[in-house]
Amino acid sequence: MTDSEVPRERMNDKKDQVYSDLLNILTEELGVSPTDVNPNLDIRDDLLFDSLQLYSFIITVEEAYDIRIADEQIDKVHTMNDLVDMVYDIINK
Amino acid sequence: MNDREQKMAEELVSIFEKVLVAEEKSLQKGYFSNLSLAEMHTLDAIGPYEARTMTETAQILGITVGTLTVSVDRLVKKGFVNRRRDEDDRRVVRISLTREGKLAARMHGKFHKVLAKHILEPYDEKEQELLLSLVSEVDDYLNTQVARYDNDDRIRQTAKDVAKDVRRRKTND
Repeated sequence: MTDSEVPRERMNDKKDQVYSDLLNILTEELGVSPTDVNPNLDIRDDLLFDSLQLYSFIITVEEAYDIRIADEQIDKVHTMNDLVDMVYDIINK
Repeated sequence: MNDREQKMAEELVSIFEKVLVAEEKSLQKGYFSNLSLAEMHTLDAIGPYEARTMTETAQILGITVGTLTVSVDRLVKKGFVNRRRDEDDRRVVRISLTREGKLAARMHGKFHKVLAKHILEPYDEKEQELLLSLVSEVDDYLNTQVARYDNDDRIRQTAKDVAKDVRRRKTND
C-alpha cells in the first residue's frame, strides 16, 4: 500500500506514535523537558543541540526503529514534525 | 619539470599533508581526542551498521589482519568496537561499532563533508561539476599508480611464501 492509499486516520495514528516515541527518547535519554517539546520545535535552534547531541539522538532513533538515517536526510530535518515525517517515511518504505 | 608540473607536484603533496593535519587537529580538539587518526579510519572501515569480518575490514584498509588485530584490540579496550565470534562459523571474527564508535565515526564523517562543502561553496554548479570531474580524474590516475604497487605486494607475498616453503623443507629435513 502506498502512502496515498493509507487511510489518513491510520497514517496520523502512526505518526502520533512516532512523535510519542521521539518525545520519549528526547526526555528519557537526552534529559529534555517534555514541556519544551512541540511539533514545530526546531531541533537544532530550540533544543540547542550541538552536532554530537544531534548524532547521539539520531543513533538512538536508528536503534529504536532498526533503520538507517543518512546525513543528507538529517540535513533536511528542522522541526520535530520534519523528523516524524522522515522516520515515518523510512519505516514505511 | 616545467613550472606547472612543479606547482602541481607541490600542491598535491601540500593538499595531502594539510588534509591529514586538519583531520588530526579536529580530532585532538574534538570530543574524541583519545582516538588516533588511524583508529578513526579503522572505525570508518568497520562502518556503522552490519558487523564486518576482520578480513573484510583489513582489505578495505589495505592492511594485514595482524596489523588490524592490534588496532582492534586497542579500540575494544577504549570502548569503540565490539568483537565476537560468528555464530555460524566460529573461525570467523566479526567486529562492529559500539554506540560510542558510531558516534565518533559519524562526527568524523561530518568533518569531511564540511570540508568538501566549504571547498565547493565559492563555485557555481557548472564549476563545481568541472572541479569534481577533474578531481575524479586525478583520483583515477592515482588508483592506477596504487595498482602498480599492489603488484609489488604480490611479488613480496610470493617471496614470503617461497621463504616459508624453504623453512618448512629445512625443518622437515
